[in-house]
Amino acid sequence: HPFWASLTVAVLVWYSTVTIYVAIKGIGDIRRMLRRLSDSKDAGSGVAS
Amino acid sequence: MTSNFTWVDGGIVGLYLLATMIVGVAIRRYVTRVEDFIVARREMDVYLGIASLAATEFGIVTCMYASQAGYTRGFAGAIPGICNAIAMAVIGYTGFCVKKLRDSGVMTIPELFEQRYGKFVRWLSGVVIVLGGLLNMGVFLRGGGQFQVVCCGMNIRSLENAMTVLLIGVAVYTILGGMLSVLVTDFLQFVVMSAGLLLVTFLVLGKVGWGSLTAAVDTHYGAGGFNPFVAKGLGWPFVLSNLLTNTAAVLTWQTCIARLLAAKDSRTGRKVYTGTAFFFVCRWVIPGIWGIAALAIVAPGVLAPIGLQFGEKDASLFAMPYLLSQLVPAGMMGILVAAMLAADMSTDSSYMLTWGSVIYNDILAPFRRTAWSERKGILWNRFIVALIGVFLLFWGLWYKLEGNLWEYLQTTGTIYLASMSILLIACCYWRRANNWGAIAGIIVGAALPVLALSLNLFVEVRVPVLDETGNQIIQEGQALTQAVGLARHYVGDNFVNIGTYALVAVAMVVGSLLKPPARSA
Repeated sequence: HPFWASLTVAVLVWYSTVTIYVAIKGIGDIRRMLRRLSDSKDAGSGVAS
Repeated sequence: MTSNFTWVDGGIVGLYLLATMIVGVAIRRYVTRVEDFIVARREMDVYLGIASLAATEFGIVTCMYASQAGYTRGFAGAIPGICNAIAMAVIGYTGFCVKKLRDSGVMTIPELFEQRYGKFVRWLSGVVIVLGGLLNMGVFLRGGGQFQVVCCGMNIRSLENAMTVLLIGVAVYTILGGMLSVLVTDFLQFVVMSAGLLLVTFLVLGKVGWGSLTAAVDTHYGAGGFNPFVAKGLGWPFVLSNLLTNTAAVLTWQTCIARLLAAKDSRTGRKVYTGTAFFFVCRWVIPGIWGIAALAIVAPGVLAPIGLQFGEKDASLFAMPYLLSQLVPAGMMGILVAAMLAADMSTDSSYMLTWGSVIYNDILAPFRRTAWSERKGILWNRFIVALIGVFLLFWGLWYKLEGNLWEYLQTTGTIYLASMSILLIACCYWRRANNWGAIAGIIVGAALPVLALSLNLFVEVRVPVLDETGNQIIQEGQALTQAVGLARHYVGDNFVNIGTYALVAVAMVVGSLLKPPARSA
């Protein structure tokens, strides 16, 4: 069953490698997001849309 | 029920829950505007988006229905994941609909509809989105609780307590921090969940073996266990139905769209889609392997009493949690339960928040005569999320599933997926689309799945039970029969689904063409 065997292996390889990459890059994303939010926190109309 | 869950495992789970709560609550100080609460002030970048979307769309309920598909359909049960990944990759790559949606700067899809179809369609769209979404997420908590009871060997009476504690924990940080808390805790949950899923999968493969997996599928389902087109009860309607559902979900499912709309720009949103696509294959294949492993080594007679305990008709749902309760050793069980709780918390929080945002932004919109202050807006959003939490608790305790979990989720999702996806496509690409067509599409799209669900729930037909060779089973001189819902028996869930999409498209076109063109002054 080459299709299901290779798909299962691809899933395991993907989950073992890409997940780590996304996790490392994601930490940077969170830090940048919170920094931008902090910077703009003191800058609004006060009215909700 | 016995299990390998010990106090060490309880400690691991407790530590994880505490860490999540602290992080989730700490984020609340960044929430100063409604836009922060609903779309994280559109500051989400690619990798946080991928982690968040992958975590949100993998809950315990996902694990339950994907493993049930593996147990009852073999490898062919993973087809919905492949359909989902194809839809997400293509839409992310081409920007079909999603580019125009993100570039419009709206916070929800109905808000975009107002620009094209008017205020009433915006409000009506909000109503069907919330109706379909709440019915869909109503079974999440129950599935999560059942997993914990079977997997950890908890007392059945602890189910309600386990569900309540889990929900309160999730609700606290979601209510306080909104989308910002959801994104950050999703990230934490993505890491814990992925580690647990991988560990358990390698354990299952090591203990059961690849050969046993294929042999079990071959023995029980033959060629149909590997090829959905030749599988009994699946075939092309199953594949087409899943392709339609998953394409519509990528375009309009609230949790998906919330990430697109929280992204910095449409380019970032599209990258999140293409980057997350293959995770949707993973979310079906990994639990599917667990389900097939259960097929290989769990005696069917063990499952029926578990199903009876929960009052569920289909005991195949409990094959995977029962397998894990016997297979996963103490210590590792704590990692597994923490991973599954992580999966469930990220799902519950995001569902409560994103459907709450539609109630606030679109259903309550006509009742806001004057502009609300940011403070009042955030307060209302928090109140709505809390109300959804209360609904989830009571619906989760009361509603008992009648059949296959994925088919239920597909049918309830179709209440709005069919109409909203066709309205969105028409809104973006068809100049003649107008409010007549939109209203006709919404009514048809909601009526058909609700009718099918009602017929299945209240009108049953007795059908003979057949053995694997297609012969009727005779017990004590009498033919064995079982009750099946009327629509499920005569039409089938997949044809209800396909028919709904086709008829909504027809209603949209006919309704729009029937409306007389506006006379120019």
